[in-house]
Amino acid sequence: MARIMASEFLKIKRKMILFLVFLGPIGVIGLEAVNFGLRYEWLTGVYKEDLWGGLIGEVSMLSIPTILIGLTILTSMIANIEHQTNTWKQLLALPISKSRVFTGKVLLAVLLLLVACSLLAGGTIILGLLLKFGSDIPFLYVVKMCFFPCLASMPFLALQIWLAITIKNQALPLTIGIVGAIVSMYGMNFPDWVPWKWPLLMNEWDKPIYSVLAGLGLGILIYLISLVEFHRKDVQ
Amino acid sequence: MSAFIIETKHLTKKFGSKRVVNHIDLQVKKGEIYGFLGPNGAGKTTTIRMLLGLARPTKGSIHIFGKDIKKEKLSILKKVGSLVEYPSYYGHLTAYENLEAVRILLDAPKSRIDEVLSIVRLTKDAKRPVKGFSLGMKQRLGIATALLGNPELLILDEPTNGLDPSGIIEMRELIKSMPKEHGITIVISSHLLSEIDQMATQVGIISKGQMIFQDSISKLRERSTSKIKLTVNHAEAAWKTLLSHGYTTQRMQNNIFVENSSNEKIAEIVKALVQHDYSIYRVEEEKKSLEDIFLELTGQEGGL
Repeated sequence: MARIMASEFLKIKRKMILFLVFLGPIGVIGLEAVNFGLRYEWLTGVYKEDLWGGLIGEVSMLSIPTILIGLTILTSMIANIEHQTNTWKQLLALPISKSRVFTGKVLLAVLLLLVACSLLAGGTIILGLLLKFGSDIPFLYVVKMCFFPCLASMPFLALQIWLAITIKNQALPLTIGIVGAIVSMYGMNFPDWVPWKWPLLMNEWDKPIYSVLAGLGLGILIYLISLVEFHRKDVQ
Repeated sequence: MSAFIIETKHLTKKFGSKRVVNHIDLQVKKGEIYGFLGPNGAGKTTTIRMLLGLARPTKGSIHIFGKDIKKEKLSILKKVGSLVEYPSYYGHLTAYENLEAVRILLDAPKSRIDEVLSIVRLTKDAKRPVKGFSLGMKQRLGIATALLGNPELLILDEPTNGLDPSGIIEMRELIKSMPKEHGITIVISSHLLSEIDQMATQVGIISKGQMIFQDSISKLRERSTSKIKLTVNHAEAAWKTLLSHGYTTQRMQNNIFVENSSNEKIAEIVKALVQHDYSIYRVEEEKKSLEDIFLELTGQEGGL
């Protein structure tokens, strides 16, 4: 598995993929910097009880659609490395099991998404310090609000990478992913069982961890189904 | 254990209700260059995809190195190098990086990259991104990739497709040198008989999913025996006369064909015709080209 990952990382060299991983979090932090820069007085007034909490809340509001659109583009680009020049056949004719090749792709997407989340967390802290919100940084809350939406989005990651790998024409997975991201923006009105609500971390019990667990569970389930399907299918 | 590197039994693949590959018994011996020949859409690529474990046979079995591909796919693939149709490469990476991406997966030594690059003579271009390569170079890189794992069997699907004449010659020399220098068995598919004719030692011809000929190339050439064609004024009467003299010939329009005959026999036939006052316009030798045999076998004479 380590060898597959090494090969995968070599293959994304000189692609825009890594740029995208940086662009997402930097974009979110940049927008929040402008937001707070322009409305500093007003926003610090609104959040005067808890400046850090206010900032983190604003960041995560913006980060959810970014994560969903980002993972759609990311998975599509990862799959496209092989689609572009028909390397699936070459790759799968190597003495490596099909399931591992597939798992390698999924793992790559997950890792890159987690890197983006870490950058988001780091960026939030730096922005907070620059805005002089004090050195009393709620690290745990930052990490929670940056990683939880990402983990709750795992069903979408699993679905998107499956679609992107199975369907050669990337227009379809991209459309589905982007429509999903738009749907999730209205997620707060959905019943709790709708996966598009989970990244918002809102539920009846007010326990974000439930959304995360549901996301991880469904994500793993979709991954397992797609793995079986990928293994069974003939290579085109 | 069988003596064959590849042996398939009743290999069948159905797409829907259509049998794309129908009961194929492929037999490839060690050290051969096996030419797998057939018109486009005959089922070559499908068969090759099944040999590489990319597609599952609907029916039948495949044994490579005496092992069943269903059970020991990975251990078989370790010793197989392949080039399936168009060259596959990662355009944004250099030739070296392309090979490295595969080498990591194969766990081959790093030095192997330089070795295969020199075999296909791409050492000079190793640091260039592959998207700037010519098709011939890309195809050679494909061969290099196939050779990375030190394979004992090389499966090449249409390796000369789309190459210019010099690229084809280069590729042909490269392929021909493999069994001699590296002891590799090669299966090479093509829809061009002339290609196979110049490289292969064994031939399998497939048409509409069925194997219609499988033997050594010399056996195929034997079929291209020469015929003597006689053009005479009254072919039918002449044919009857010859028959009454005990010479079996074939008649086609104004021509009489005599097969496999010695010089003396031809002389006797001509003499008999002259004695019966037939005008002989032409006596010529007609050699059937491999191309003709191929068309005859695949039954596509009036093709397209």
